[in-house]
Amino acid sequence: MSSSCSISCTKLTLFTITAITIQFIGLYLFVFAFFPVKPLLSGYSGSESFQRPNCNGDGHANRNETSLPPDRLRFLYQEVSKMPPSYDRLILMVIDGLPAEFVLGKNGKPPNKGFMEAMPYTQSLLANGMGVGYHAIAAAPTVTMPRLKAMVSGAIGGFLDVASNFNSQAYSDDNLIAQFFKIGWKMVMHGDDTWLKLFPGFFARHDGVSSFFVKDTVQVDHNVSRHLGDELSRDDWNFLILHYLGLDHVGHIGGRNSALMASKLSEMDEVVKTIHTNILQNLENDQGKTLLVVVSDHGMTENGNHGGSSYEETDSLALFIGPKNHASDHALSNHDTIFQVDIAPTLALLFGVPIPKNNIGVLISQMVDPLADEQKLRALQLNSWQLFRLLQAQLPELSCTNFPCDSFITNSGPTISECKGNKEKLFCCLYLNATTLHDAWRDEVGTKSNNAEGYNTTVAAYHEFLSRASEWLSHKATDRPISLLAFGVAALITSCLILLKLLFVIHKEVPAQEIQGVENYMRPWKLDEVFILFGILILVISMGSSSMIEEEHYIWHFLTSTINLLFFRKAIQSFNLNKAVDDLISVAKENCTSGYQISLLFLILFCGRILKGWHQGGVNWTNLPDISTWFEQAGSQYINWIKIASCVMIIMLGIFALFLLQSKTKVVTVIGFSLLLSGLLVLQHFLKHQDMSASYNKDATLSIQVFYAIIGITTVIAVLVLPWVMPIKTREKCSKWNLYMSTSVPTEIQDTPIFLLKDSLYVMGCMFITSWCLLQLLLQRPINAMPLLLLNVQILAYMLVFSSSGSHHKKWVEITALYNLGMTGHFALGNSNTLATIDVAGAFIGISSHSTFLSGVLMFIITYASPMLFFFSLVMYISMKVTICPLVTGGGNSGEILKSLLGFPCLVPLSINSILLSANTIVLVLMRNHLFIWSVFSPKYLYVCAATACVYIGVFIVVTTVIYTYIVLFWLRKSFSIASKEKGT
Amino acid sequence: MDRRKSSPEEISSSEAFTVNLLCGFGLALSFWISNTVYSVNLVTDPSLTLFLISIIELPIVILLYSRYRHNPQQSSYLRAVARGILGLPAGALLNSLGAIALGAPVTFQFLPKTVYWSLMMSLFTTVPASCVLGSSWADWKRIFAQTKPNGSIEYLICLHAHGAVIGGWFGAWPMPLDWERPWQEWPISVSYGTLAGYLVALVASLGFVLAHRRRLLHVKNE
Repeated sequence: MSSSCSISCTKLTLFTITAITIQFIGLYLFVFAFFPVKPLLSGYSGSESFQRPNCNGDGHANRNETSLPPDRLRFLYQEVSKMPPSYDRLILMVIDGLPAEFVLGKNGKPPNKGFMEAMPYTQSLLANGMGVGYHAIAAAPTVTMPRLKAMVSGAIGGFLDVASNFNSQAYSDDNLIAQFFKIGWKMVMHGDDTWLKLFPGFFARHDGVSSFFVKDTVQVDHNVSRHLGDELSRDDWNFLILHYLGLDHVGHIGGRNSALMASKLSEMDEVVKTIHTNILQNLENDQGKTLLVVVSDHGMTENGNHGGSSYEETDSLALFIGPKNHASDHALSNHDTIFQVDIAPTLALLFGVPIPKNNIGVLISQMVDPLADEQKLRALQLNSWQLFRLLQAQLPELSCTNFPCDSFITNSGPTISECKGNKEKLFCCLYLNATTLHDAWRDEVGTKSNNAEGYNTTVAAYHEFLSRASEWLSHKATDRPISLLAFGVAALITSCLILLKLLFVIHKEVPAQEIQGVENYMRPWKLDEVFILFGILILVISMGSSSMIEEEHYIWHFLTSTINLLFFRKAIQSFNLNKAVDDLISVAKENCTSGYQISLLFLILFCGRILKGWHQGGVNWTNLPDISTWFEQAGSQYINWIKIASCVMIIMLGIFALFLLQSKTKVVTVIGFSLLLSGLLVLQHFLKHQDMSASYNKDATLSIQVFYAIIGITTVIAVLVLPWVMPIKTREKCSKWNLYMSTSVPTEIQDTPIFLLKDSLYVMGCMFITSWCLLQLLLQRPINAMPLLLLNVQILAYMLVFSSSGSHHKKWVEITALYNLGMTGHFALGNSNTLATIDVAGAFIGISSHSTFLSGVLMFIITYASPMLFFFSLVMYISMKVTICPLVTGGGNSGEILKSLLGFPCLVPLSINSILLSANTIVLVLMRNHLFIWSVFSPKYLYVCAATACVYIGVFIVVTTVIYTYIVLFWLRKSFSIASKEKGT
Repeated sequence: MDRRKSSPEEISSSEAFTVNLLCGFGLALSFWISNTVYSVNLVTDPSLTLFLISIIELPIVILLYSRYRHNPQQSSYLRAVARGILGLPAGALLNSLGAIALGAPVTFQFLPKTVYWSLMMSLFTTVPASCVLGSSWADWKRIFAQTKPNGSIEYLICLHAHGAVIGGWFGAWPMPLDWERPWQEWPISVSYGTLAGYLVALVASLGFVLAHRRRLLHVKNE
């Protein structure tokens, strides 16, 4: 180790920590620069929104307006809006997660027959024109809170709204609820308590239900409906919100085709029927006109999840049911598509309140059809004024100094100009055209009545402006601070380079240590090494293609199995069939190990193929058959059996691996016993609560909490105590174990702490892996029990392959292979790069009260089950690779020992992750204007960020475990034993 | 040891050229037949096309390579042919296992396609080797696991096999993409990749053989 190029342990640590810090800062800056909270206009629209936007900064003239009492304000609005409210009361019925397809069908086809029959009343309303239904396209991310905000404000929030979905706070931007509140409406809300969090203090009466118990599908809706009769009989409210969560829960549990779906739909139909009958009665009794709006916040995928931007998820419902027939003629189609944000301006105009300031939606023109022509145009005009104000705020150049925006007064009649040029000019021109035509039409109406042609062109011009402006506003890539972005990217790349350089340095000095392993394979680059580098290159390149991101699981599986095949090939290289070789014993031994390796690799490949077939992940090919759907169709009893069998197998594997360490001491027996105990707890839970999905109950929660406590405590205690109590033994007994569990050990070496380190780490690794698998068995969906078992088998088989003396792979190759295995497993457990596959239901297992933090932790544990398993297996891997070489050559320098133990296992995952992180960051910057930026690249980036966190946590666990064990064994225990000896003598 | 064994089976560059030409000709013929006689191609009917390729290449490959068998004194020409025929199903099994490990579908719907594809792969990889090498494990290991061919004919075997496999590996990459083209189905794009890799290997192996011959001459002259 006389090395000018070698690097000391302290330096290595310092550099690594620096690199990680730089990476973290860079990531932090980048994320907050790239996912901005969209610049929204603050404040609320007032009566100025009923006036033409003027040039001098659009005065907030009516300051005294805010001090007006609600009634006066309402009259003021009625006066200046020149549009009497069309309805008196509003009932907003939100059915969480209902795809519009269930009610309206798809592509002109009626919905599924079962669903049609489940909703007879609603369908009859649609058929006779009492109700008008729309496919309201929701924006990504399709999660409840951002969608509710979009519906009441007409604005699309930033992407990071997803993150705060579990932590919803009061909504402070302009929205309908606030507008209604200002004009003195009395509002009542029953249902999802997200509303109460968003609008605290706005509701006169409310009964919030928590969206927390995902497994409850009955009580959650009953808690809403029980108020219905009472509320309908009262007439003291103006606005009633009913938010039903049950359908979303049904989807989360059983998917679109859940057996509970039809009954849930008919329950919703009953509610619609009750409300509508009441509306008709009220109309007869002259108690005012009520509008019922049935909406859903988002749709759901085939298996009931949501969050992404596929058609299934964004296809939400907007159904307007009034007391009168909406359709002037019956040729009304219910397949029209609107945007979810269009609901807000429509409701604002129908009820005579100002349109919320940040609205980007467009009036649904069919809803104002019953009005007179003049009022229809007025509605369009108000909508245009509001959008024009928003445009003025977003485009500072759209000012009146450059373009005479209000110089519309021409005596020569309407002058329509061809609109082109940059976007400022375009919007200005479109807006001018519409206003000019409108004014002309109004002038003409004064002179001669009924000018249908002028009316139609005016409407067309308004629509042209509205749709263009709305489209631009919704797609507008908000300005991102370039300097921060650049700094973030630069920091990420710097840290990536530092890590790679460190890896390169310690890679160069390794051969000096392990000369005995190199033998005749002195070729500089071997096939597997080249392939692994090539594989990383492929991964980086494929990150630039949206469909490759969607189908990333194919890439990981392909790369991992190719690496395994290359290992296979390598194992064959040292396999001999020739009998006529002189050195028979050594050949037989070599054959034995390579035959053993070949069979293990075959097992790994086999398990990997089953894992690949288990979940047909991704986006495009989800309809292809896979094993999980096959089992789900076969029935839940099979899944239960598999779950129990996997649990038993995992316990057995864990104990088997533990007793491979042939020194069967008391300590190992105790550890094995504790594993068995926690395994039996899981098993008992499975047997007792077979129908977990049907309902949650206290008993189950308690037994899960007991399990959490036991597994946590045993693992921590085992790690803390094990290095102290690991018995010192002579090595003779372990010679058998050495046959395949370690590299060649010269027998004359006396018993040293290094062997204790090896044994302790091995036991800890075993403990980690088995405990983690047991925990996952409990948390993951039941169908994932088998993949967990297979992953466990693969990891253990890899350990055996890498520990056998015939393996000539370099350390970084082996760790990369393990890393790949972890990532392949991540996708094999049903994860993908869309937010929809995150298992929300699992995040509440065993939690008895609402805690955002705890469910977040559980969600992370579930999603990153497989990569974390990889890190736990690294502890075992380090134990496999403990050699006495550094002791012999380095003279027992603890820095050298720790470096040889931890160098590669920490640096390789960190480097691979930093490469992928940097690549994804650059891709995100390059693709910022891509169509799929919000639906594909951004969710992927969130996953990459979470994976980075996972790497940090995993490396931290590995490092602390190893360093703690090392310190105890090499320093503390020695000094203690010396002290006790002194005491004894 | 190897030098002594391999020298009698050295084939000249022109012979290697003929072998490659005939193999390539067989491929062209099978495509021509499938196009004109059956009017199908890989995309419209992969099973039939792959079957035609296999059935036409089979006699060409076996009959050609059996001429260059190792130890021609001990094993007769017919024996080499028999070995080649035996090698066909064995190689097909190996290839299909490899493909399945890499993610090829295992449903019954794809079974015939997988079978015909692996027969074709077998003809490109194991059948020539089994004709020439017989059951010598050391030779098989040297060529396929260690990639150390020795002598012109081994260069041909090794390069063709590797070309076909690597080509097929690359051919699988477009499969998960969402282009919705019919050729993205298993095993069409993989077959295209295989054929492309094989054709490249046909050309490249000639170069290697030429270089090898030149080196050999050089050694002899010295």
